[in-house]
Amino acid sequence: MHSPLPIASKLAKPGIRNGKYQDVAVAPNTSVAPRSFLQTDIVPLLLSLGSVSLVTALLLLLEQTVAVSLVPIAYLLPVVLAATRWGIWPATLASIASMAEADFFFFPPIFSFQVEDPQEVVDLLLFLVVALVSSNLASRLRQETETLRQRERDIQNLYDFSRRLAACFTVSELISAIENYLALTLGQPAVFFAAKTDGQLEPPRCGPVPRVVNENVTSAIEASAPSVRSVIDSATRNVWLLRMVSSETAILGLVAVNIGTGSTDTLQIRTRRVDAILEEVSLTLQRIDIEKAMEDARLRLQGQLLRDAFHGTLSHELRTPLSAIRGSASVLDSIPVVQKDERIRSLVEAISDEVAELDGFIQSLLNATRVTAGGVTPHLEWTDPRDIANAAIKARARRLVAHKVETDFADELPLVHVDSGLIEESCGQLLENAAKYSPSGSTISVSVRRKQSDVVLSISDQGVGITTDERPHLGRRLFRSQRHQASIPGSGLGFWIASIFVGANGGSIDITSAGQGLGATASITLPGSAMTKPETTVASNE
Amino acid sequence: MNRPANNVLLIEDESKIRRFLRAGFELQGYAVSEAENANDGLKAATFSAPDLIILDLNLPDLHGSEVLERIRSWSNVPVIILSIISSEDEKVRLLQAGADDYVVKPFGMAELLARSEAALRRYFKSATENPVVVAGPLSVDLVTRTVSLNKQPIRLTRKEYRLLHILATHVGLVVTHDQLLKDIWSGNQRDNIQYLRILVRKLRQKIETDPNHPRLLVTESGVGYRLQARFEDIAAD
Repeated sequence: MHSPLPIASKLAKPGIRNGKYQDVAVAPNTSVAPRSFLQTDIVPLLLSLGSVSLVTALLLLLEQTVAVSLVPIAYLLPVVLAATRWGIWPATLASIASMAEADFFFFPPIFSFQVEDPQEVVDLLLFLVVALVSSNLASRLRQETETLRQRERDIQNLYDFSRRLAACFTVSELISAIENYLALTLGQPAVFFAAKTDGQLEPPRCGPVPRVVNENVTSAIEASAPSVRSVIDSATRNVWLLRMVSSETAILGLVAVNIGTGSTDTLQIRTRRVDAILEEVSLTLQRIDIEKAMEDARLRLQGQLLRDAFHGTLSHELRTPLSAIRGSASVLDSIPVVQKDERIRSLVEAISDEVAELDGFIQSLLNATRVTAGGVTPHLEWTDPRDIANAAIKARARRLVAHKVETDFADELPLVHVDSGLIEESCGQLLENAAKYSPSGSTISVSVRRKQSDVVLSISDQGVGITTDERPHLGRRLFRSQRHQASIPGSGLGFWIASIFVGANGGSIDITSAGQGLGATASITLPGSAMTKPETTVASNE
Repeated sequence: MNRPANNVLLIEDESKIRRFLRAGFELQGYAVSEAENANDGLKAATFSAPDLIILDLNLPDLHGSEVLERIRSWSNVPVIILSIISSEDEKVRLLQAGADDYVVKPFGMAELLARSEAALRRYFKSATENPVVVAGPLSVDLVTRTVSLNKQPIRLTRKEYRLLHILATHVGLVVTHDQLLKDIWSGNQRDNIQYLRILVRKLRQKIETDPNHPRLLVTESGVGYRLQARFEDIAAD
C-alpha cells in the first residue's frame, strides 16, 4: 500500500503540497502492530490452558499404551493450536504449562515437579525450546494470514468501488458514488462540497455537518491552501478528514469524511482507506476528463465532416447543372440566328440572368456555412482598393445591368492590407442589395476615399432607404424587413455575411439612410495601411 | 494564319458540360475530342496530340491537378482548368503547376474561348515571325523593346517595361504575382507584393485611358494580372 502523502498530493490542487499538513501521523509500516501482553484477552489464555489439561487427561487415560518418550510430542499439539488460533502469548503459556504438566504427571518422581534423570531434564528443556520456537513460527504465520486477509478485503472493496466508478460518466454520478461508498465502507457519513465556477463551494447535498467542519471547509477554500487536513469535532470526538477532489483540469470540490473515534492505529488505517478510495476517484476523474475531451473532439469532427459534405454537395451537385445551363445558354447566345432574333435572344438572356442569381445565392449559402463554421481566416495581402471595387462591380455586372453604376475613386489612395476575396465578396453583397432595393434605371454610386489613415469604400443607392425600426436589426442573420418580404426576393444572409467578412479583415460596415424612400449608403471602412513613404518610392525609382 | 483546325481535348466527367463545350468549340471551328475520365484523357493526350486540353479538376479516377502534372511531365500543350473551387490559393497552385489558365464554373463560353485563344496564341507564338504583341490600342515590340499606345511611342521605366513584357508574352493569360515578382525583382522582393501593386499603378497611368477603370492591365483578385488581348473580352461577360 502507498503511504498517504503521494495520494494526498495527487488529489490536491497543484501547488498546495507544501501547505500545512495537519494530518494524523501515519507510520509507513502497514502490518498490524504487535499487541502487548496486557491487552491480550483472558479467554484465549484460559482456552490454551484448558487444551493443555485436556491433553494431560488423555495421556493419563492412555498411560499404559503410550510410551513416556512420546509425551512431549503430544504436548506440541495444544502449543501449535494455541499459536495458530490465539497468538503468541497463549502459545507461550501453553508451552510452559505443557512442560510443567508433563514433568508433574509423567516424569518420575510422579506427582512432583522434581526430575530424577538428568537425561529427562534435557528432554524437558528441549521440549520447551521446540514448543516456543514452533509457537512463535505458527503465530507469525497466523498474523501474516490475517494481514493478507485484511488486504484482500481492502482490495476487494476498492475493486468493487472502481467497478462502480467505471460506470460513472458524469461528475455528479461520481460524486454520489464517492459519498455512498465512503459512507458504506466506513459506516460513517461522508459529504461532498461541490466547487462552483466562481471558486466558492456549494453547501452539501446531504447530511448535517458539524459547524467546526463547515468552518474548516470555508477556511480551506479561502486560504486556497491546505487541501488535506483533519478536524476534530469537539462535541462527539469524531475525526473528520477533509480532502480536495480535483482532476487535472479543474477542482471539483472538497469531500469531508467522518472517520469516527478510536485509537491512533484505527484512525491511521481509516485514513489510508479513504486516501486509497480517493486515489481511485482521481483516476476516474482523469478518465472522465479524457472521455469528455474525446467526445468534444468527435462532435467537432462530425460537424466538420457535415460541413465539408455540405460544401462539396452544394458546390458540385448544384453548380454542375448550373454550369451546364449557363454554358449552354452562352453557346446559344453566340449563334448568329439567335443574336438576330430579339425575342429568342431575350429568352437566352433571361436564362443567363437567372443562373447568375441562383449562383449568387449558392455562393451566399457557402459563405454562410463558412462563417458559422468559424472558418473565416483572412489571407491578407497588399491590394489596391480600386481593384477590389472594380472586381466587385464586374462580378455583379449581370445584377447591375438595369442600373447606372457610377464610380468615384480618390487620387493617391493607399494600398490596403486585406483579403481581397473577402472584401470583394462583401462589396458585391452590398452592390447586390443596392440593386435589389432601388428602382431600375436609378444610379448606384461607388466611391473609394481616404479618411485619415483609413480607406472607405461606399455604395450609395436611390432606393427604399432604411427606417428607424429596421436599423437595429441590420446585420442580423436572416433578418428581412417586413416591408420587402413579399416584393423583393432574398435570403437575409447578404449583409450579415458582408459584416462578418469585413470584420474578419479588421474593418467595419456602416449604413446610413436619410429615411424611407431616400436611399441608403453602405460604407466599408478598411484600416489604413502601415506602409511608409520610402517603401512606395522603391518601385518608382527605375 | 491558315492552319488546319485546332484540336481540343475535353477531359470532363459530366456529359452535360461536355455537350455544350463541344458545341461551343465546334461553332468556332475547333475539332473536338472527349474523354470522360483521367485515364482516357491521359491516353488521348498521348496518342491524338491535341493542340489544347480543357481539363476538369473533379474527375472520378484521378484529381485534375495530378493529370496536369502527368501531362506537364512530357508536354507543353496548353491546358485550361475548369473548376468549381474558386479559392485563390488553389488557382495559384494550379498555375504554378503549369496550367495556362483557369475558368471557374459556372462560366460563359465566350470567356473560355478567349482563354483558349490566348493559350493557343502563346503556344504557337514561336512559330510566328511577328515579335509585336498587340492588345487593343497598345502594341509591344518584344525585339526592339518599344511600346506604343495609339501608334504614339511611350516611355516606360525599366521595371515598367519588364512587367509589360512578361504580361505581353502571356497576352490574354493570367500571370501570378509570384511569377511577376520573381521575374521583375529577380527573387529579391518575392514577398513584397506592394511593390508590384505600385508598379502596376504606375504602368496603368501610362497605358490606360482611365487608370481607375483598367481595361488592358486587369487584376485577377488574389492571383495575379492579365493583359487583355481584346477589349471585347471585358464586354463579353
